Amino acid sequence: MKMLPDDPLLHDACILAVDDEPANLSLVEKAFQREGFRAVRTFLDANAALDAFAAEPPDLVLLDLMMPGIDGYELLESFRRLTSPDDYLPILVLTADANVASRLRALALGAKDVLLKPYDVGELLMRSWVLLDTRRTFQRRGPA
Amino acid sequence: MKRPGPWRSLATRWADTGLAAKGLVVVAMPLVILLTGVAALHLSSQAEVEAEEAVRRTFAIQRDIHEVHALLAEAASGVRGYRLTGRDEFLAPYRKAEALLPATLDRIKGAVRDEEVRDRLARVDRLVIKKRQGLAQLAAMPGAGSPDGVAARDIAEALVANKAVLDGLRAEIDAMQRREAQLLDARRARADAERRRFLAVTAAMALVGLLGSLAAVQLLFSGIVRRVRSLERDAERLERGLPLSTADEARDEIGRLARRLVEASTLLRTREQALREGEERYRRVIEGVRDYGIFALDPEGRVTSWNEGAQRIKGWTAEDILGQHFSVFYPRELRSGTPKHLLQIAKRDGRVEDEGWRVRQDGSQFWANVVITAVRDEDGALRGFSKVTRDITDRRRAEDALKAARAEAERASLAKSEFLSRMSHELRTPLTAILGFGQLLDMDRETLAADQRHAVDQISRAGRHLLGMIDEVLDIARIEAGGQALTILPVELEAVVREAVALTEPQAQSVGITLRTGPLATGEVLADRRAALQILLNLLSNAVKYNRPGGVTEVSMVAAEDRLRVDVRDEGPGIAADVAHRLFTPFDRLGADRWSGMEGSGLGLALSRGLALAMNGDVLHRPNLDGPGSIFTLILPLSGPEADPAHQADARSQ
Repeated sequence: MKMLPDDPLLHDACILAVDDEPANLSLVEKAFQREGFRAVRTFLDANAALDAFAAEPPDLVLLDLMMPGIDGYELLESFRRLTSPDDYLPILVLTADANVASRLRALALGAKDVLLKPYDVGELLMRSWVLLDTRRTFQRRGPA
Repeated sequence: MKRPGPWRSLATRWADTGLAAKGLVVVAMPLVILLTGVAALHLSSQAEVEAEEAVRRTFAIQRDIHEVHALLAEAASGVRGYRLTGRDEFLAPYRKAEALLPATLDRIKGAVRDEEVRDRLARVDRLVIKKRQGLAQLAAMPGAGSPDGVAARDIAEALVANKAVLDGLRAEIDAMQRREAQLLDARRARADAERRRFLAVTAAMALVGLLGSLAAVQLLFSGIVRRVRSLERDAERLERGLPLSTADEARDEIGRLARRLVEASTLLRTREQALREGEERYRRVIEGVRDYGIFALDPEGRVTSWNEGAQRIKGWTAEDILGQHFSVFYPRELRSGTPKHLLQIAKRDGRVEDEGWRVRQDGSQFWANVVITAVRDEDGALRGFSKVTRDITDRRRAEDALKAARAEAERASLAKSEFLSRMSHELRTPLTAILGFGQLLDMDRETLAADQRHAVDQISRAGRHLLGMIDEVLDIARIEAGGQALTILPVELEAVVREAVALTEPQAQSVGITLRTGPLATGEVLADRRAALQILLNLLSNAVKYNRPGGVTEVSMVAAEDRLRVDVRDEGPGIAADVAHRLFTPFDRLGADRWSGMEGSGLGLALSRGLALAMNGDVLHRPNLDGPGSIFTLILPLSGPEADPAHQADARSQ
């Protein structure tokens, strides 16, 4: 039983997930593949993720905040630098930090949405779909 | 000033006379003198006129006597002629004399004053009558013009007799003439004397008038001008604050003014005295102040006064410092600019406050609080500055220590908050995979065997329970770390209670518990709405969970003094008094294992109470005395004008 509507355009979307916990990356990968997403790329290493982002901009980024080395906040800034201001590239932050301040900081740095870990898998999928749908709408109409 | 009695009393009376009366006297005096002079002149001129009248009369008498003599002589000559010629026309002089003589003699009689002349006149009168009779006899004798013997003898006799009469008469008249001439001389002399006296009187009157005017002016001067001048001098002395020299005791206007002046000077002296005493007292107080250096500066900044506190704080004695510029109190590097700058600000704004290092006489430094106030006179002109200095080195050190402690606390708080973030992250991250994969499995549960499904359910349930516990532990830790941001505002608690009841309703229904709302008092409390709701949800959820099957949970709210009290009553078995004190201890579930299948961390009440305390409220428990079960109570402070804002601050910092 699938959670999301059957939408071929969405299934072609390129999703980039960054987390320092392999189990969590695996969960994200499984959950999206289960819904029919084919292009889910996961990264344990922030630098690799940044390279991949620069090489081929994704349609959606799923980002952990607390990571050793380059953390999620730095990545948010880097992604923003790499993204054209005319483009709508949604970043969904997934964090286990229950502090409101962390969430606010992430949103201020350009995240489009935040989910607190552990999250409801269905909610993760629905929110991702909403963000992708918004991006698609944006691309159809062209930049304002 | 010593004068004899009567003069003294007159002088006193004069002095006491009102100014208007004095003026009248002064103006009237020369006038009276003038009038007296005029009267004297009048009398004198009267005497002169009389003397001249007497002279004129004498002339008239002489003329009349001469006329009598002439008339008689002509009459005699006429009668003789008639006798010789017999012609009637010679009788004309006789007839004229007969007509005029009586009147002329009467005139002389009326004019004569002198006795001797009067005697002679009487004799002349008699002789004139005799002469007239003689002439009448001669004229009446017959045969005029005819020399008749008898008649001629008679005529000769008559002529001789007449001649004798005439001679006597002439002698008398001559004597009279002489006498009158004599009188005339005397009278002329008298008239001359009178005239001279008139002149003398006139001169004397002029002199007296002049002297009278001088006397009046003198009177005016001594009675008014002199005293007014003295008054003026007194006014000057009053102005200069000297004691008054004179006391005018007269009861006229000037005297009253003088006494008022004396009263004013006395009053002024009394007030000055009081002012001086006040200033002295004030000065002594200021000089005696030991904790504050209080001193004065002139407009240029030189020290003009010094008190004990200043000496104690700064080290200088008054002798050492008076006259020096106050920049010596400043550290060398500040001396050229800062003091002048401060005075400029004080001059502009009236006052300047400054804190900084200052130098003692021995060169040591202290941290000072300085207030410089510009001192201006009534016209706004700058008279100088007053300066109050406090040595607050100790306070400064305490503040520094406090600042360091605060920074340390902030660092600690930051570390705590960071620790909480980390902990939250570390605890939640593994749960993400556990719950996430569990959910994924559950999504495809139709592909699982029954025992596998059961296993997935167990994993998910335990995971959620663990998550709830982690949340509560982190909440408590956050409250204790002060990281829980409570927004304390006036909150309508009744609405929050109804919301909590509505949210708990589904849970109550699912386990067959009746949720009832009793009387609810209205009122605003000072609380964080979210925290209040969280507490009420916890209490209601407990009252549903730990109720007897089919039992009732009732919420009611009453106002008590300055607080609102929400009671949540259940019909459960109640809590034994000996363990009730452990109710609010974290993780202590008081044997809740008896309630098989009941989830619970044992943290809810601890968390609720922590939140309530952070809002200046409390959560309490008491047994239900009317029946089985317990009553849990949330107490929150009412907002209102008496609400103390300090409480809010406390609540945030706890």
